[in-house]
Amino acid sequence: MIAARADIVANVWKIVVREGDPVNAGDELAVLESMKMEIPVIAPSGGYVVRIPVDEGQIVQEGDVVVEIDGTPGV
Amino acid sequence: MTQLDLAALDATAHRASLTQRRRQRNARVEPRGAREHTARERVEMLVDAGSFVEIAPLRTADGQGTGVVTGWGLVEGRGVVVIAHDAAVASGAIGAVFADAVVKAQRLGIDRGFPIVYLNDSGGARVPDGVFALHGCGEIFTQNVLAQRRVPQISVILGPCAGAAAYSPALTDWTIMVKGHGHMFLTGPDIVKAATGEDATADEIGGSQLHTVKSGVAHLEVPDEAAALAETRRLLSFLPSHAGAPMPFTEPVGPAPEAADALPFVVPEKASVVFDMNRVLDGVLDEGERFELMPQHARSVLTVLGRLDGRPVGIIANQPGARGGILDSAASVKAARFVEFCSRFGLPVLTFVDVPGFLPGTVEEGRGVITHGAKLLKAYIESSAPVLTVVVRKAYGGAYIAMGAKSLGADFQWAWSNAEIAVMGPGGAVTLLHRRALAAADDPIALRDELAAEYREEVARPYIAAESGIVDDVIVPEETRGRLSDALRMLTAGQG
Repeated sequence: MIAARADIVANVWKIVVREGDPVNAGDELAVLESMKMEIPVIAPSGGYVVRIPVDEGQIVQEGDVVVEIDGTPGV
Repeated sequence: MTQLDLAALDATAHRASLTQRRRQRNARVEPRGAREHTARERVEMLVDAGSFVEIAPLRTADGQGTGVVTGWGLVEGRGVVVIAHDAAVASGAIGAVFADAVVKAQRLGIDRGFPIVYLNDSGGARVPDGVFALHGCGEIFTQNVLAQRRVPQISVILGPCAGAAAYSPALTDWTIMVKGHGHMFLTGPDIVKAATGEDATADEIGGSQLHTVKSGVAHLEVPDEAAALAETRRLLSFLPSHAGAPMPFTEPVGPAPEAADALPFVVPEKASVVFDMNRVLDGVLDEGERFELMPQHARSVLTVLGRLDGRPVGIIANQPGARGGILDSAASVKAARFVEFCSRFGLPVLTFVDVPGFLPGTVEEGRGVITHGAKLLKAYIESSAPVLTVVVRKAYGGAYIAMGAKSLGADFQWAWSNAEIAVMGPGGAVTLLHRRALAAADDPIALRDELAAEYREEVARPYIAAESGIVDDVIVPEETRGRLSDALRMLTAGQG
């Protein structure tokens, strides 16, 4: 299991993927809003989205998991 | 004298004795553990081929040598002092004689103005030497600090470095660690376990990931010894031999043509959209080698050595592509340290600004962001090197000041025409300034957007700053290199 984490305290502005989606390393998974900046959450490696433990509009702290990925890269 | 006569001479007792002693001292001792190279081999890999001259090669503590190889050699034809711990002698532990040998080499560097490179691989103070070892370690630290105002110091961590072998690098300018082999900690895993009960591996207490990503104790992680020594040479290529020495110029070259062509389009119009600040540097600086320090730590600010017109320069830039380019405690410390280093050695500081502000909140205040941010202010204020600042997009609040503003002593400060400079961003400002009107409005969001757009144009645009003389001029991106270049030529005239 690979976790894509928030690297800054932020508001979850947009979640771009849904559970079950295949993703590649480098894909944008969500966009956080902090300090009036749109800060992308990027897939650290490829696989499938297995869990999205946050909702849009929720506050996340630095280090919180935004999207969990599992499985083999790409499809 | 013929060859025959010389051979006969070699057979005399005193010559044979010297040959024997030299052979004994220079005998290759197979490196211990995972090490690939002996201390002397490491030194030979660092300096230009055949240039190393050892200081006091016959000196010994207990018949095995001092445990440290010291001397001088050339790097790209320029002198450097090298101090290499020899892990084959008592694990490279620092005894009284070892420490004295190190101090003598440090004095050579300081007195004669040569950079000092420390190749560290030592378990710390030599236990049997007791207080003499501790005293010697303290003397090494003293020379580390005395050297700071005089010569660049680079520490390379090639093995497990505990105690004094870890503290000395913290008093030098830049520390390079070999992944998997280089460790730095106050004490290793066994003593940690005994002291506090904590179970941790050497990597967890002092590996290169910990120190180059999280703690910021070390400034570059490399895959192996050869890369560590090659990177040390490359780092030295940007630095003068000592404070006040001529700069190591290279042939001036422009930016890559495609990077220069792309420059006007690099920064997104919308202030909230992130981009890679490296593309701005590509479009402004000389094409070719750059040396990024602390690339993995506090990534929202870039600290890079590069060149403009062949002259080495230090570049500080916000990186919107990492954490929005914010300043926080770690980024402030990283940037302050870099500015302070550039100032000591006369490297002009070029600052590229696109900063949303200092990151607020309980976590950062708890880390002491006020104290750490103040270090950055102080570093700019005290800089004796030229400081040139370019606001490429937004610069809000205290972070505007902290990023090399004119008020801190920048020689020149320019703003790109799309820049926004204000106490706070448009959204926050109108909410504060028009609280009553917004509360009474039928459609507060529409009114807020309208007021924010007005604020952006009337308050935040850089013309107010330019008309008041606080920024020297408003420029377009493609004018940046020329302005920096003209200013540096003037500010450094008569210097090396």
